[in-house]
Amino acid sequence: MRIFEPKAMNLPTDVYQKKVRKRTRILAFLLTVWVIGIFIRLIDLQVFLHAGFKAQVVKQNQDRTKILPERGTIYDRNGKILARSIPVPSIFYSPPSEEPFELQMKTILRLEATLGLSAKDIERIKSRLQKKFSFAWIKRKVDVDTAQQVKALGLNGVSFREEPKRFYPQAKLAAHVLGGVDIDDKGQSGIELAYDQVLRGKEGEVLILRDVKRREYYSEVLKEPQSGKDITLTIDENIQYIAQRELEKAVLENRANWATAIVSRPDSGEILAMASYPAFDPNAYPPSPEQEINRAIRYNFEPGSTFKIVTASAALENRAVSLNDIFDCSEGSIAIAGSPIRDHKKFGLLTLPGVVAHSSNVGMIQVGLRIDPDAFYRTIQAFGFGRKTGLDLPAEESGLLMPPKKWSRRSLPALSIGYEISATALQVLQAVNIIANRGLLIAPKIVGAIEGSSVIAQKESTPPDRKISEKTADTLIKILEQVVLEGTGQAAWINGYTVAGKTGTTQKIDPELKRYSSFKHIASFVGFVPVEKPAISMIVVLDEPQKAEYYGGQVAAPVFREISSQVLRYLRVSPQKSLMKAALTAEPGREGER
Amino acid sequence: MVHKKYTKKEIAAGVLASLMTIIILTFYLWHITENIRLGYEIGRCENSLQTLREEVKKLEAKKASLLSLERVEKTAREKLNLTEPKEGQIIYEDF
Repeated sequence: MRIFEPKAMNLPTDVYQKKVRKRTRILAFLLTVWVIGIFIRLIDLQVFLHAGFKAQVVKQNQDRTKILPERGTIYDRNGKILARSIPVPSIFYSPPSEEPFELQMKTILRLEATLGLSAKDIERIKSRLQKKFSFAWIKRKVDVDTAQQVKALGLNGVSFREEPKRFYPQAKLAAHVLGGVDIDDKGQSGIELAYDQVLRGKEGEVLILRDVKRREYYSEVLKEPQSGKDITLTIDENIQYIAQRELEKAVLENRANWATAIVSRPDSGEILAMASYPAFDPNAYPPSPEQEINRAIRYNFEPGSTFKIVTASAALENRAVSLNDIFDCSEGSIAIAGSPIRDHKKFGLLTLPGVVAHSSNVGMIQVGLRIDPDAFYRTIQAFGFGRKTGLDLPAEESGLLMPPKKWSRRSLPALSIGYEISATALQVLQAVNIIANRGLLIAPKIVGAIEGSSVIAQKESTPPDRKISEKTADTLIKILEQVVLEGTGQAAWINGYTVAGKTGTTQKIDPELKRYSSFKHIASFVGFVPVEKPAISMIVVLDEPQKAEYYGGQVAAPVFREISSQVLRYLRVSPQKSLMKAALTAEPGREGER
Repeated sequence: MVHKKYTKKEIAAGVLASLMTIIILTFYLWHITENIRLGYEIGRCENSLQTLREEVKKLEAKKASLLSLERVEKTAREKLNLTEPKEGQIIYEDF
């Protein structure tokens, strides 16, 4: 330190001090310039370049990801789970920034076999990596074991996130009613689609912070997801199972193309079962388009003889016929607009009950011709044909009903026997429910409650609509009972119970020949049981039964009987002892079933 | 420099005040620390509750799957050799 002293430098004190002051000033100037420089740079960074740098940091270190809300559960009427979302692992890739693209793809390809990635999946991930995305799904909603296998590989950048997955514990049961969801749990068909907004809830958002190696080190829920509401259906798991099992059996036995059955409670309109064959497993959604069709509400067909209930109602309601009127059916055919319409046999002289019981086309055309066309049209409309029933399921068909001004000379006779009109199975069942309810229309329902709040109670606040008089309905009930006791519907008879119903056998139009086919039929049966206080009503439809027997009474009525007898036992509806005895001693004469 | 001579009473009061300050500060710090610790604990419990709720939901769904009617019927028919009751085998209570 001595060298800086004036004596050591051989300088006079004042010169030395002057020199020190000069150096101090230079140093102070340099320091000031340096500080000003830093200050300017700080302002530049913090003010002018701030937004750009912040965006870069956010891009590098933060991910804002949606949290899918938990979808509401769907229950049957007894609280049994039909559809529920459960959390399962999803696998995604956050490419480490220091890794070259080739190495990133190598990581993905290592998962190809374990996750069963398709070429399309690989291409999708590759495309995202090439575009420098910081996130790519590898495979979503895998099972826990597969996720464990991937975890064991310890691959850099491969992470896991839990997502809700729709699970249908009963697989094919009520598949057409439930429908299905896509990979994002969005409803695609059935109740899942009709009530998607209710079931889905609201999405949330999570902020994920990552370190320089893109590893997740912090996450914060920015917006909590709101779970969807639970829905309780009117479907009964047990009745649905019985209906599906018997329907499948019938299709296989009769080598039919497809079939559908609906079971309902006429007094409330609740659908207890809605089955279609072929069915599908909604756990593996989507099925083939053919399997996905809910034929109970999405297939229009000419109802054929089941429609004779409506014709008879119109005739009685409009006093066009009386019960004692005689109709000559002895010829076995009737000429309509130059072409004959035939019965399956010559019946001779029949009253209206006889015409319905034996399902005589010749007799019913004579009945139909007595009804004023406008009055007939109004009755058909009153029964709900030509418009949707309003059931809470998507894509319901409205059927086809032409107004009288568009009718040809053939239309009235054809309509009398259920042709020149198309309807869904549900519409035909709704019509029969009007008879079962003594003339009152109670609309069909399939959703019982949403999050514990009854939907049915709300709908029942409006009184049921009377469509035909109680007297007409009572008369028809007696006639329909005769159909099962001694007419074409004897195969629907159940020991110990009073059954009312009507058979139907419709000739289908051959698309190649463009006329009604003699080989392609739709067989159906619609009815209710017990007659006094109907516990259930049901329609069964089979398309193109291939065996020698193809009439509704031969093919569909036995299915009605099988399902009904099991459902009545399940619902604890006891048989009537008096009826059982009578039935055992006097087996009804089984005529050539139609 | 002249030092003021404190009385024993003043010294005791000073020590007491210091001790009180230390105690209050210590309590305050403990309170904050405990709050944070409890916050973590609550967070852990909430996570655990959520996990358990999810587990219950999964188990309910699994139970529903195991009790699916198709599976029950198969077990009844194939393992237990049960069959549908015949007409005379059913006794109705209100018959």
